[in-house]
Amino acid sequence: MAPNIIDQSKDITILELLDRVLNKGVILTGDIVISVADIDLVYLGVKLMLSSVETMEQLRSGNSIHQD
Amino acid sequence: MINDLIYVFCLSNESPPGHIIESEGLHSLVIGDYNIISKYVSEGEFSEDNLKRNMSDIKWLETNARNHIGIISKIMEYTTVIPFKFGTIFQSEESLKKFISDYSESITENFHQIADKEEWAVKIYCDRKKLSDQIDEFSEDAAALEKQIMASSPGKAFLLKRKKSDLIVNEMDRICKHFGQKYYDDLKNRSESTSLNNLLPKEFTDRLDTMILNATFLVDKNNVADFKKIVDLLKKENENSGFFIETTGPWPPFSFISIKEKKQWLQT
Repeated sequence: MAPNIIDQSKDITILELLDRVLNKGVILTGDIVISVADIDLVYLGVKLMLSSVETMEQLRSGNSIHQD
Repeated sequence: MINDLIYVFCLSNESPPGHIIESEGLHSLVIGDYNIISKYVSEGEFSEDNLKRNMSDIKWLETNARNHIGIISKIMEYTTVIPFKFGTIFQSEESLKKFISDYSESITENFHQIADKEEWAVKIYCDRKKLSDQIDEFSEDAAALEKQIMASSPGKAFLLKRKKSDLIVNEMDRICKHFGQKYYDDLKNRSESTSLNNLLPKEFTDRLDTMILNATFLVDKNNVADFKKIVDLLKKENENSGFFIETTGPWPPFSFISIKEKKQWLQT
């Protein structure tokens, strides 16, 4: 299936989602739980952009993708 | 691999629906007055080191973060929930019981704060080019200067145009602040609590316009229709002005949870 506009715009949703689930809610630290400390949103944004570029490149080079 | 770590999604103050617990392979533990919605997970995936490693795998993180919010959202359709940060793992039921005991007053207080309310996110963007094209309608100073330009000789008009382009930059900042504040206040008046988030730069929003407000509102369920009506009205009013208003929700109330340990809780 060809990538559609929703796929192309999904990064913002992921970033918004990660901003919530990693930085908000019940945040516990210390002996009582295992939890990974703060993850920088900017770092995640960069990683997401890189991963989406990678995905787009894979899609472009893939033979099974139909071009509209 | 043995699944013996407890991954907590959320707390609820009523029993979560059995069909969701069953179909998602979850557990609902009752400790004190609360239901803890959790899942047993393996050390191979969620021990401290493995969790840290997996968090840097963006595909793993996306899948699991979507699952985290997906499960909490399903439970939220039936009962009030206190969502946990993604990847909060308890070693045993004993440590979970200790958490409930240490934080019980704060948990009760949080349930009280969020009961019968929904979290809605609102982002406002400004298309500065579009706003600049209509600046004379928004700014009296710009309109007055434009009149002077029209009435001036070509030489003077040239100088005044340069003056106007400086004025436009300042006026656009002022207009963005004015409308951003006005729309925020309109929505704040219809909500119980608000929380401001960082503005995201264009590289991350994938939009050409500039984010001027990124806020979250806790809205009483009885006022949600009114809140959405205001958002729709603002959207309609601004169709051609250069302001774009985007809203998402209802989210689990992540932005309005503040859990404090008993000792600190009593001190503050």
